Amino acid sequence: MILLFGSKTTFAQKCDLSIRGRILHQENNDPIEGAYIWVIESATGAVSDENGNFIVKNLCQGEYHITIQYLGHKEIKDSISLSSNNFNKTYRLEEESLDLGGVEIHGHRFAVQTTTAVTALYGEALLEARGENLGESLKRISGVTTFSTGNSIAKPVIHGMHSNRIMILNNGIRLEGQQWGAEHAPEIDPFVADEITVIKGAETVRYGPEAMGGVILVNPAPIPTKKDPKTNIYLNGGTNGRMGNISVSHADGSNKIKGLGYQVQASAKRAGNIKSPDYFQGNTGLSELNFSGSVGYSSSKLGVEGYYSYFNTTLGILRDSHTGNLDDLLAIIENGRPFSDPGFTYEIINPKQVVSHHLAKVKSHYHLSDTWKLNFQYGFQTNNRKEFDKRRGDLNEKPSLDLQLFTNTFDLFVDHNLKNEWSGSFGLNAIQQANNNIPGTGVTPLIPNYDMVNLGIYAIEKYSKGPLELEGGLRFDARSVNTARYVDSELQEADLSYTNFSAFIGGLYQISPKVTFNSNLGTAWRPPNVNELFSEGLHHGAAAVEIGDPDLNSEKSLKWVNALEYDGGRTHLEFTAYANHISDYIYLNPTGETYVSLRGTFNVYEYLQANAFFYGFDFSGSYVFTERLSAYAKGSIIRAKNTDENNYFPFIPSDRMDWGLAYQFGSLKNSQTNKLTLSNMLVAKQKREPDFDLAPAPPAYALFNLAYQKKFIFGENQLNLGIQIQNLFNTSYKEYMNRFRYFTDDMGRNILLKINYQF
Amino acid sequence: MNYLKKPTLLIAMMVSLALASCKSEDPVPENDEELITDVTLRFTEVDASGNAIGTPFEFVASDPQGVELGDPTIETVELVKGKSYQMEIFLYNSIADEDITEEVQEESDEHQFYFLGTAFVGSPVLTYTYDDLNGEIIGLKGQVEVAEFPGFNNANMRIILRHDLDKNFPGADNPNFENFTQAGGETDLDLTFPLVLN
Repeated sequence: MILLFGSKTTFAQKCDLSIRGRILHQENNDPIEGAYIWVIESATGAVSDENGNFIVKNLCQGEYHITIQYLGHKEIKDSISLSSNNFNKTYRLEEESLDLGGVEIHGHRFAVQTTTAVTALYGEALLEARGENLGESLKRISGVTTFSTGNSIAKPVIHGMHSNRIMILNNGIRLEGQQWGAEHAPEIDPFVADEITVIKGAETVRYGPEAMGGVILVNPAPIPTKKDPKTNIYLNGGTNGRMGNISVSHADGSNKIKGLGYQVQASAKRAGNIKSPDYFQGNTGLSELNFSGSVGYSSSKLGVEGYYSYFNTTLGILRDSHTGNLDDLLAIIENGRPFSDPGFTYEIINPKQVVSHHLAKVKSHYHLSDTWKLNFQYGFQTNNRKEFDKRRGDLNEKPSLDLQLFTNTFDLFVDHNLKNEWSGSFGLNAIQQANNNIPGTGVTPLIPNYDMVNLGIYAIEKYSKGPLELEGGLRFDARSVNTARYVDSELQEADLSYTNFSAFIGGLYQISPKVTFNSNLGTAWRPPNVNELFSEGLHHGAAAVEIGDPDLNSEKSLKWVNALEYDGGRTHLEFTAYANHISDYIYLNPTGETYVSLRGTFNVYEYLQANAFFYGFDFSGSYVFTERLSAYAKGSIIRAKNTDENNYFPFIPSDRMDWGLAYQFGSLKNSQTNKLTLSNMLVAKQKREPDFDLAPAPPAYALFNLAYQKKFIFGENQLNLGIQIQNLFNTSYKEYMNRFRYFTDDMGRNILLKINYQF
Repeated sequence: MNYLKKPTLLIAMMVSLALASCKSEDPVPENDEELITDVTLRFTEVDASGNAIGTPFEFVASDPQGVELGDPTIETVELVKGKSYQMEIFLYNSIADEDITEEVQEESDEHQFYFLGTAFVGSPVLTYTYDDLNGEIIGLKGQVEVAEFPGFNNANMRIILRHDLDKNFPGADNPNFENFTQAGGETDLDLTFPLVLN
């Protein structure tokens, strides 16, 4: 071929060849920035960029020997026969063994290896979110909103999906509480996390059923592997609700045993009645006490980790939201605000929730060889949820709902990061669950006692070559559910089983060093939850009778997510577009009927299934005008339709965007944060309302926030000071995604002081 | 492959232990203790000075299922024009076999009955006055006067029991307070007896 083009051009082309490649961590497939690539024959070299890519240009045809070096990692030597410009290879660097002095050992972190759209909250962004609950913190990520019940209960919503359609992993273990309830917040303390990652794709294959809308990974910092004591103290205070919050964490490693380290963390929070601009919301205080600790050991071959976390919260529920019957409910909706204004108090009375959650896990990995790793993880969780209603006399001391949920999760999988382009994992996963209604509530239980077992096997394989990554996976799940309960003093039992195959395929392509595109198409499934199957009775406070259907099928979804990322010098842009088709989407539908009792009338809702189509996009971008002035904008648009009935589902977030300007004060030489940010949140009215709602969607609103963040450095220590004013102009507004919009305005102005000291 | 055997054994043991240790318990039937399944109105005729005369008579509203499909059974109240009665209300939970009247009396500061419907508001045919123990305002006991020349002989007695209300709310001490929701709290009972005047 070459000869046909004449000798002159051939010669010129021959010495215009390049060696391209990508450098990754053997351990976790993370790209390595700053690895040094040296071509011996040509005596030229290159350094890998932040994506791990490198290119050595101006090489002629021929045989070359290259070396790849990176501090603390074993050198790679390779010989290359270069004949065309297509040469592109992935190299994985392995860490040196422990006994080399001064070498930092990689903490064995639960890395996200996915080609789908991922956004993480860490560093300064996480610092600014400290003191907020998980749902509120995650709102900082475009495409993530909350489905909330007042100001203290917020469930994260990813691309319009929440509760059992998304998954939350607490340090790698899927959080199993009573997620089905609209007013059941995730039982997790965000202070546990050093990084919170949101995966926006369907990740059922990797994480198991129910990861339909996305996955949230709450990851603690890696456990230290050598002596290096670090303490972190957070002190937060807020004027609205007179909130006080403290968190302390400490981590250190052992001097005697190399690779041994630990981490402990505790936090406490107390807040009283929340104030809307014109009035206090009665009984909206909360108190929280959390603890977590971990111990880890890692050597070059073996890694072992133990982790325990405890979460305990008491949440007051707005007194006026608890209505006796439909007339009560309609009366307060018409009033537009609570009838009572009890002023400020820290006291929490009925109705309230008392929730505690224990999670313990052990995790271990063993390097079978340079390229193969065996992983094992076992988690045990117990969740106790007590809900107290306003009742008569001694009954006030008894919870109306008292559920205990035990969950065992078990994972065994092998990872491989081969020397060539292939990496992946194969594994099996088991979840076993037992749910009990603790007797003595004096209320017919809403959901039955049940046992659930889910077994899954999966395989995921990834091909990485230079700027291209391709990934595919397959999974098979089988689930059995056995329920038992009394209906009118008759024992009623049900045995149900569900099976499903899921699969995904995804790819990532680095179009240029600045532009990355990824695309992921995945199926996901979710068996109907026990409440959807068996609910029968009055949902106290909601003046609604909810009726389940034991014949519901599993929901199946197909989600396609595409993300384009541009990272230029001054400009950063991220654009995510998705489409999600769900067959047999389960939803609670108002029947239009009412039940009449001596207590009055109640609306009747039933669980139905229909085909659903969700689509939308998220964007986020920032631009640096000058060294001092920068701007950002982010937003999301979601459309969700019942394609069978051609109408809309309730509680889908309306269009929204958030934009702001930041100004950096002080000396520009030291890059210490000293920044004032003014931001504006714009939320549109939800015009795509369901056919039936108790009240129309609230109008659009705009909120302004002001934040000041400053970092002080004292030698090795660091002090971060933050002052935030949320809802600067004390605007009265209602958020469509807040179930309490029927009863009250949202929170008014809140001035927060956030102090963090690291030493 | 010696190292493989030990973890596998350990894992197998842990899994079997974990699976065995948590199984759901047998369900226990719960009685709905809060429910009011029977509401009884007991009328006793009184003379001009308030002394009881004649034998008491009762009208019952019952809903043994609680909140379920199917309307409750409610008897028609029959009273005589121009007469005065003492009206007592008795509340009972037939599912848990509990007398709720006592509980309401004990929590007198948190409960109050309101009397609405065409019998009490608009051009009322009945006039209600609270007459509870120790002068409290609950409505478990009261005086009902039937108009001597009522505008109509058929009317509705809507009886509402409010719980956890603000009794000091302006107007809340009026037994025919139509805006009772504004005093806060929630409804424990909301039922309507048909009324026939003879």
